Amino acid sequence: MSKQINVALIGNPNTGKTSVFNALTGLNQKVGNYPGITVEKKEGICKLPRGVKAHIIDLPGTYSLNASSLDENVVIELLLNKNDKDHPDVAIVVSDVENLKRNLLLFTQIKDLQIPTILVINMSDRMAYKGISLDIAYLEKQLETKIALISTRKNKGIEELKELITHSKELSTKPCMDASTIDEAYFNNLRKAFPNQLLYKLWLVITQDVNFGKTDRKTFDTVEDFKTKSKADLKRLQQKETIKRYQFINETLKKGQTIDLKTAKDLRIKLDRILTHKVWGYLIFGVILLTIFQAIYDWSSIPMDFIDSSFASLSEWVKNTLPEGAFTNLLAEGIISGLGGIVIFIPQIAFLFLFISILEESGYMSRVVFLMDRIMRRFGLSGKSVVPLISGTACAIPAIMATRNIESWKERLITILVTPFTTCAARLPVYLIIIELVIPEGRIFGLGYQPLTLMLLYLIGFGAAVGSAWILDRIMKFKSKSFFVVEMPNYKLPLFKNVALTVLEKTKAFVFGAGKIILAISIVIWVLGSVGVNDKYDNAKSIITEQFDANGFSDIQNISLENKIERYTKDLVGANAKNSIELSELQISDSLHLKIDSFKKAVINDEISSLKLENSILGYIGKAVEPAIRPLGYDWKIGIAIVSSFAAREVFIGTLSTIYSVGSEMEDDENKTIRSKMNSERHPHTNKKVFTLASGISLLLFYAFAMQCMSTLAIVKRETNSWKWPILQLVIMTGFAYIVALIAFQVLK
Amino acid sequence: MNIIIQNILVFSALAIALVFLIRKFIWSPKKESSKACGGNDGCGCH
Repeated sequence: MSKQINVALIGNPNTGKTSVFNALTGLNQKVGNYPGITVEKKEGICKLPRGVKAHIIDLPGTYSLNASSLDENVVIELLLNKNDKDHPDVAIVVSDVENLKRNLLLFTQIKDLQIPTILVINMSDRMAYKGISLDIAYLEKQLETKIALISTRKNKGIEELKELITHSKELSTKPCMDASTIDEAYFNNLRKAFPNQLLYKLWLVITQDVNFGKTDRKTFDTVEDFKTKSKADLKRLQQKETIKRYQFINETLKKGQTIDLKTAKDLRIKLDRILTHKVWGYLIFGVILLTIFQAIYDWSSIPMDFIDSSFASLSEWVKNTLPEGAFTNLLAEGIISGLGGIVIFIPQIAFLFLFISILEESGYMSRVVFLMDRIMRRFGLSGKSVVPLISGTACAIPAIMATRNIESWKERLITILVTPFTTCAARLPVYLIIIELVIPEGRIFGLGYQPLTLMLLYLIGFGAAVGSAWILDRIMKFKSKSFFVVEMPNYKLPLFKNVALTVLEKTKAFVFGAGKIILAISIVIWVLGSVGVNDKYDNAKSIITEQFDANGFSDIQNISLENKIERYTKDLVGANAKNSIELSELQISDSLHLKIDSFKKAVINDEISSLKLENSILGYIGKAVEPAIRPLGYDWKIGIAIVSSFAAREVFIGTLSTIYSVGSEMEDDENKTIRSKMNSERHPHTNKKVFTLASGISLLLFYAFAMQCMSTLAIVKRETNSWKWPILQLVIMTGFAYIVALIAFQVLK
Repeated sequence: MNIIIQNILVFSALAIALVFLIRKFIWSPKKESSKACGGNDGCGCH
């Protein structure tokens, strides 16, 4: 079997490397029309003509080989280290046809490492639109390479690129520039000290904080006749190198590229002027956000109702069909209820990702980054922190990983610490269900109160992130500064395939990622709620029956029963009057009697289930937690849900659905869906609703600020290489959440 | 018989759930990474 060809995809951010990777490998890695999508290398296999295979590595975007951040180091270490099993046999530098000059800087540096290099010019479909024409033969000659003119959007040029990879052995390794021209004397010294090494490699080792092979930076200090220059001198030489490279590139492009501005039909400048305007830009962004949140509510209500009632029916069906027993109960009350609590949010999550994906694909997200940079700078952060904060709306974990392209350690640390405040997808189910329970359905200026509350929560999350960044900037004394250069990609019509893939992938990750945890926790919660710890649990039925025989229904239960009977009578008489059913007075009376018996039985069964739950292991744990959360307006069941949602926030709903399923019977038709169960939950002694405006707002604010995600804490530990920061994050965020929730409940109750 | 089978199934589901949660959040055996890049692993980066 022939050896695979190792191929590295390298290029400036946002040149479409991941799209080229997907086109070559047939994989579906996430792509986006803003820089910084790839922060770790990704791998895949590409089948080439004549049975040859290529191992493709998609590397993080980098502007040059002068590394300033962690993700850029990944690229340089791979290129310098021949011992690495992924060291490329051929490098593919992906460039964007509109930014060829800037992209060629990186190309010439890689070429000078004497690695066979192919230049891919992507987005060729925009050449005519931009009035660009290229003399490929001339460019190939000047740059000593082979060029593939491709368009991943139109799927053009990919086969030609595969051919070039197959024949990569024929590629020239001649450098573009003689490194010694940077500083003759210095490089002569270097050549004498390390006669068998490639000069440009040595130069990179000296100027970067990376090493390769047997030669590392310490080696330079041990060689007597060679002295390294000061850092300032090295910086000056680096600048000289860049200038020399650009001189070469300018010369090459003078003949190789023609741009006819007269034929360019550029809407971009006009659009940018409006979308990044210091007043209109923010207003338009606000309107877009409002539209998104309103649409999420308006479009998803029908599928959500369908899913909710389907899970309720499935649970009922399982209970009625399977043989009676503990496992049937676990399926009906634990697993199906718990999973139903998360599946119900698929429509809203999918719509949110649909909008985010369209904004990314169209190129608008980069304008948002630019807009936010203006705000962020006032709070001690650069615009580079905006990308993690915005991608934090999906999940804090990739967002924290995206901070790797922030050069300044202080800015990076602050961004890592504040990113979990941004509203991630896991918070969404909690917000949505609580908002639906406690916020009225009315509208103001055509906008619903519920979507407005949701948007407010997103703004509170972003505000908390920015505000805490400002405080941290003042507390942290160490000085370092990073510079923010944002790439403004062209506006593009979002590709249906890319948008659909992103929505599918993100929704799948949300459902399956959280789904496994929710399933496991639902099982544990159900078992804890179904194992009694005292006699009351075992004798619950006789205790409650005796109570009802002796005292009858309480006043509160009587009122509730009367209301239900009244509603049922109204529906029955109404249906009869509309001739949708035809019943005699006797039949109506019989039906009423049967229903009253069923209502009474449901009340008694609810009381039995409730007494059992209170005397189960879960009830005991809940009661132990209750004193701490009672001041916030929560009962012990919410307490259990909060504790279990430390695993992941969305577990909150799954846990509550399981608890309410264990603690109530399903004979009552009005009370079988997750939402109706939560809505009808009342405090046993006062009969007041558990989810009121005060307790609801308190819960929303608690979840807005609390650090309730163990995976995020683990990733913060990994990225900061210390337990100090995640522990501080957990204590401060959750403590702050508690105080805010307490104040909210005490003021509103 | 039915009750015993149902109890066994519940117990098994609970055991699987607990193992999953423990491995996910508390303790997971460390896998030897093929892309190890430690201090003295000869990868050449250090």
